[in-house]
Amino acid sequence: MIRFEHVGKRYGGRFDALANIDFRIRRGEMVFLTGHSGAGKSSLLRLLMRLERPTRGRILVAGHDIDRLHISQIPFYRRQIGVVFQDHQLLFDRDVFANVALPLQIQGLEPHEAARRVRAALDKVGLLHREKALPIELSGGEQQRIGIARAVVNKPALLLADEPTGNLDPQLSADIMRLFEDFNRIGTTIMIASHDLALIARLHHRILKLSEGRLIGDDATVEETP
Amino acid sequence: MSASRTPPPNQRQQRQGTSHQPDTRQTKSRRGARSQRNRVNSRLRAWARHHRAMALDSVRRLVRRPFGSLMTMLAIGVALILPCALWLTLDSARLLDVGLEESASLTVYLDTSMEESEAMQMASTLREQPQVAAARLVTAAEGMAEFEQALGLEDALMRLDSNPLPASVVIAPLDTSPQAVDDLSERLRSIQGVDEVRLDLAWLERLRRLAELGQRLTLALGVLFGFGVLLIVGNTIRLSVENRRQEIEVVTLIGATHAFVRRPFLYSGAWYGLGGGLLAWLLLGVGGQWLSAPVQALAQSYGAHFTVPGLDWEGSATLLISSTLLGWLGGWMAVDRHLKEIRPR
Repeated sequence: MIRFEHVGKRYGGRFDALANIDFRIRRGEMVFLTGHSGAGKSSLLRLLMRLERPTRGRILVAGHDIDRLHISQIPFYRRQIGVVFQDHQLLFDRDVFANVALPLQIQGLEPHEAARRVRAALDKVGLLHREKALPIELSGGEQQRIGIARAVVNKPALLLADEPTGNLDPQLSADIMRLFEDFNRIGTTIMIASHDLALIARLHHRILKLSEGRLIGDDATVEETP
Repeated sequence: MSASRTPPPNQRQQRQGTSHQPDTRQTKSRRGARSQRNRVNSRLRAWARHHRAMALDSVRRLVRRPFGSLMTMLAIGVALILPCALWLTLDSARLLDVGLEESASLTVYLDTSMEESEAMQMASTLREQPQVAAARLVTAAEGMAEFEQALGLEDALMRLDSNPLPASVVIAPLDTSPQAVDDLSERLRSIQGVDEVRLDLAWLERLRRLAELGQRLTLALGVLFGFGVLLIVGNTIRLSVENRRQEIEVVTLIGATHAFVRRPFLYSGAWYGLGGGLLAWLLLGVGGQWLSAPVQALAQSYGAHFTVPGLDWEGSATLLISSTLLGWLGGWMAVDRHLKEIRPR
């Protein structure tokens, strides 16, 4: 599904944010991306979202070199990816329903079909009863779940998450991770950047470890916690 | 040759045997075309739906800040008034101009020493000249009477011993174009007994030049103030782009095209432009009303009839359409700059 071939990203001509990153993620896999802050996790995700372009190497997503996408094709590429942000990035001027419906509105889905899918997504994250609430009225955990509902509402094949549990307490974080596992079970490829090592160690998924822009560990074996 | 034209019987049979095949293919392709048409239709519907939603949403945003919106529209309206007013003034002057051209005439002044009988003969000579449509003799006495009437100088002229005015012949040329009239006057001047030929067209020409200057001035002002409208709208939209920066980033991240991002701002710009145009139109009407009484009084004191020009519906439509387009363009410029900033590097 995702293939990085000797990818490097350099900022300002000197600083290597990423260097010689090489890995492959199969369809339907769930992968964690870890490392200290500044290790290059966000840069890697930004490259995948085509917010930035690699200075070296190739990135293939579903067999396509995303660097060769024409600027007019980028929106259509992004529609196939669901993105969950650390600070959820909900729009505070509209209610929960409108927030989750946004990707479908962008794709131009018929309103009644969109409404059906929005309710399905809200139901999956357990917040169907809050559809008329404004994001500001929700707790941090609820806001993040709305963010996830928005990311999955158009059934993307690939789900990217950047520190989705960064601001949540351990209990809520575990809930959020379970939610991701549910989506993975129905076939969605998931990549989660997180530095919450204790949490992800318990989840037994493949872990890609970054340090100073280099891939220093690709732990596909299941770690058993004592 | 003939063999290649008519297919051999077995081949013909084959064709007949498989005659249903093209049919299914046809229905399949028809179905394909239909589903494609459906897809196109649904995309068109989605597009129209978003346009409708954004048109309404941008109005709602304008109404939510009524004072600020009104200020912006007023600024646009004021910027549009000056070129419009100048254009209107010029338009009415051009109407005047057309009326004058029809009465273009030459006045031929005869030698002062000429007797009245000689003058009459001279008039008939002039009447027979080519390019002359009509010639009317104004004798010295008649000229004096006209002069007195026009200037109200009866007393002063009564004191003169003899009539100082020459007899004159007023000539209407066949061809009233400036060049032809010029040629004619040149020719008439060379006739013996003619003292001077005065072109009434000279000041008319001056007026035309003035009108041309005015036209260019209007155009320059129109362009300048149109640019001003662009800047006003551009600046206002730029602020709302700043305010909605997060929203733009989020929708771009989840796959919004540039057109989608731009749309609400283009509508805001267009509404600003339309509002400004309407205000300009309104102010022009009110201003015209306010000026019409003194202007008419002034014109009457010159014995003329002149009404303050107003925009007809064609002019009004032009004003509103161009102000709307300017607003739309201003919105486009503001958003486009922002979109370029967030382009992937």
